Amino acid sequence: MENLTEMLKGTLEGCVLEIIGSEQTYGYAITRRLNELGFADVVEGTVYTILLRLEKNGLVQVTKRPSEHGPPRKFYALNDAGREELATFWAKWEYITSRIDKLKEGGR
Amino acid sequence: MTTESNEPKSRYLQHLEIITGPLEDKKRWRQYKARVKQLPENYRIAVEALERYLMHFGPADGAGAMAMYGDLAELFEQSAADGTPIRDIFGDDPVEFAEAFMANYPLGQYRARERHRFASAIERAAGENPDREDRTKR
Repeated sequence: MENLTEMLKGTLEGCVLEIIGSEQTYGYAITRRLNELGFADVVEGTVYTILLRLEKNGLVQVTKRPSEHGPPRKFYALNDAGREELATFWAKWEYITSRIDKLKEGGR
Repeated sequence: MTTESNEPKSRYLQHLEIITGPLEDKKRWRQYKARVKQLPENYRIAVEALERYLMHFGPADGAGAMAMYGDLAELFEQSAADGTPIRDIFGDDPVEFAEAFMANYPLGQYRARERHRFASAIERAAGENPDREDRTKR
């Protein structure tokens, strides 16, 4: 599906945390993963900006590894604060989706 | 960046930097420009356009701005190495990308001052914190 950008905005950071949480990885691979998942509009720049934010907020551990071509690649892994943030994200997600589902079903 | 040093500055350097601005910042700026120069042409054109935008709306100077330009060079070096198309760096809306990128760094002085002024004015209008000193009236 396309044109999801606005709606995805607040949840993309959680998605990136989840991807990093399952394995240590880098920006380009994270973008591809999101594209394969069906979020075709997500671009490298957006993911890079999110990774910068995660790094500055102390949620990830960054390791530089030499790359076959180009500069060393930054690999990201969650630290304890990152895992906590991820759990909070899923709790919030659960809350929002349950409320919105209720609204859709016409409940109160 | 690993070029920063934690050694205390000499008195002479402290005085000189009042006039020139921190010398490390200048060095880091030159390093950034040199990195941009090495990029393939279309990446270089894109960075320089973004740089111009950041000059106007981003942090104006200081370590925050230099860290930002360092990260910028890194992003474009990596993108050039991966062959990431320019459009896949910026997305459909380059302005939105620039704003999201900038949000990771300290605000420029002008923006910071105006935001503070605005928030304080609303605070006073809402009748909150009436004793608070208005630091924007000078």
